[in-house]
Amino acid sequence: MARVYNWQLGREMSYWYPEQRPKRQFAAVFDTNKCIACQTCTLACKTTWTSGKGQEYMLWNNVETKPYGFYPMAWDVNLLEKLGAQNWDGQRYGGRTVFEAAQAGERALGWRPEEIDYAHPNVGEDDCVNGVEKGAHFSGVHNSWFFYLARICNHCTYPACLSSCPRASIYKRPEDGIVVIDQARCRGYQECVNACPYKKTFYNAMTGTSEKCIACFPKIELGMQPQCFVNCIGKIRFAGWISKPENARPDNPIDFLVHVKKVALPLFPQFGLEPNVYYIPPRNVPRDFLLQLFGPNVDAALETYRNAPKDKDLAGLLTLFGSTEMIVAKWKRADEQVIGYDESGKEIVRVPMREPTHVRQAFDAARNVARTNIS
Amino acid sequence: MNARNLGSMRQSDSRSPCVEASLITSSPSLGGRGLEVRVVRKQTYPYPNPLPQAGEGKSTCKSGIVFGLALVLGAAIVFATVLPGCKKAGPPVSDAEVKAQFAKALPSTVDDPIWESAPLHPAKLLLQDLVEPRLMQTSTAFVNVQAATDGQRIAFRLTWNDATADDLPGAARFGDAAAVQLPALTAPDVPSPQMGEEGKAVEITYWSAVFQAVVNGRKDDIRAIYPQAAIDHYPFEAASLKAGSAAQQEMEKRYAPARSLGNPMSGPRKSPVQDLYAEGPGTLRLADKTVSSGMGKRTKDGWSVLLLRPLPQGVQAGGRSQVAFAVWEGAHQEVGARKMRSAWIPLALGASQ
Repeated sequence: MARVYNWQLGREMSYWYPEQRPKRQFAAVFDTNKCIACQTCTLACKTTWTSGKGQEYMLWNNVETKPYGFYPMAWDVNLLEKLGAQNWDGQRYGGRTVFEAAQAGERALGWRPEEIDYAHPNVGEDDCVNGVEKGAHFSGVHNSWFFYLARICNHCTYPACLSSCPRASIYKRPEDGIVVIDQARCRGYQECVNACPYKKTFYNAMTGTSEKCIACFPKIELGMQPQCFVNCIGKIRFAGWISKPENARPDNPIDFLVHVKKVALPLFPQFGLEPNVYYIPPRNVPRDFLLQLFGPNVDAALETYRNAPKDKDLAGLLTLFGSTEMIVAKWKRADEQVIGYDESGKEIVRVPMREPTHVRQAFDAARNVARTNIS
Repeated sequence: MNARNLGSMRQSDSRSPCVEASLITSSPSLGGRGLEVRVVRKQTYPYPNPLPQAGEGKSTCKSGIVFGLALVLGAAIVFATVLPGCKKAGPPVSDAEVKAQFAKALPSTVDDPIWESAPLHPAKLLLQDLVEPRLMQTSTAFVNVQAATDGQRIAFRLTWNDATADDLPGAARFGDAAAVQLPALTAPDVPSPQMGEEGKAVEITYWSAVFQAVVNGRKDDIRAIYPQAAIDHYPFEAASLKAGSAAQQEMEKRYAPARSLGNPMSGPRKSPVQDLYAEGPGTLRLADKTVSSGMGKRTKDGWSVLLLRPLPQGVQAGGRSQVAFAVWEGAHQEVGARKMRSAWIPLALGASQ
């Protein structure tokens, strides 16, 4: 095991390989508050990449309803239970990562889902527990809560899948940090399935190999965002590049959200993989649950998010979500407009801070007809 | 009586696995009904029975003496059970090394008569507990090895006990498998038995029960793995594409990257065997061409597998080399590095008389 620095933990940690960061790292921000679980992202991915034989129950992208939704079954709670209670000392993680908690003979602490665990994605997640009486209605404070968690591969800086592969069949692309399984080399040992805490590598029984999200790298190479990003109805997703904290640039959208405003947080940072999909936490979820999911910065992130209406830069950048298929490498706000640029500095999108409002009269005098909302 | 104190029954270089009878003077489980005769099927060594079943070969069984005693006691049922067991002759056992018997024509099945006489080496298997991921719990303790050579090629028959036949792939589901490993170059300084080492390669011939099931006729189709599968639609099976046409097949390939790249773990499959090459743990790769052949067959107690491969460079009839074996028990989640394996075992090649 080597010693590597994980900025999400605020400390060094043990990892199978020495620290070797890519030239640039693919990253994303998901705003959980905007997700409506329409599963358009899931289908966009499914139809693009996993319509083959052996991929029937394989979802590189999935959206699950937390706290009781899982794909595969119990993916997070199983590992949390294995890992046991851990603690943060302020910004520094005082507990053990999956690498540090590895049992004898293993490269990471993990577990392997069985077929049945993949067999019922989303079934029952959003069902009402009890029947609803006729005339029932809600009044007062809503104590129940849930939120939708959209998940893809985190293209981690320290991937457990990569470190656990005894054949070194998994690699991080040096040009963009995307984690891929070499389909010519993989022998289907499923060690990666065992090790990935997020369970985002999948065994394909028809090809005899494991497969995973490739962040739509053929699109990334053309400067475009992946399919699940551009098809998102709620415009919750934003793809780009993340720097190390000490190199953060405010004009890089991902850096601005993650490092400058610290409004987007990694999912289960305590596992130690330095995942590169960052989440704006959901607003209406108990704090303890959010602390477990997103780490100690969750209070500050939510405070920043709640204040976004008063923060023109933050609010402005959030309007760029879902505004273009291209990757916005740089951005700036010019008064009431937000401008996105590609890698070369060319303007690719310009979005008003506030959409202009048009008021139409209820009655169209010219046509002598009353307008309806859908006309 | 256990296997260890049957030494007096052994011949110098062969052991009989035949049935013996033993007397049990009281048996609580039988309610103290006095003298009982129990037929105990014992092997004379603690390894799986590699031999053809009852009725084959000549009897060399000395336990017929014991049998006679049982007969005197009037247990007629013993007669029927024991006598056939005494009729078989085991191949000679070679404890110290794998002796490849010279044969002009090498066997192509695990049932070839040559295996009745080819010396048998019970290869002790150890945990692969040196390189992560390791196997932490022992499963298959021994594999019985027999070998034959024609001076160009070598055939191994591996036989081991395995209570479950695991030949279906799936999530968290692994197939049974076995492998033979030889140094790529025969030299006094052998490579590490753990997959060789840099500059000192090993050649591996690998058999998989999953491959074998497909070769035996299991369809290369998702419904063969999941018989209840209900498939809505595969894009490459759209009505607009003529089934089997070049365009259709090309499209189907695009939906199975490992297949389109020719990954040997993917189908279609014609052989249950792969030739592999390694220079240390994690370096395993497919040999430039698989020239070995083989077959595996489910037995009453486990598997019997034939692996037929070329002799490595520099080894010839009458010569010596090293060989190592590995067995994977699928039901025990054994795959890849998680395996039972042997140390190097001396390999002596027979020569024509």
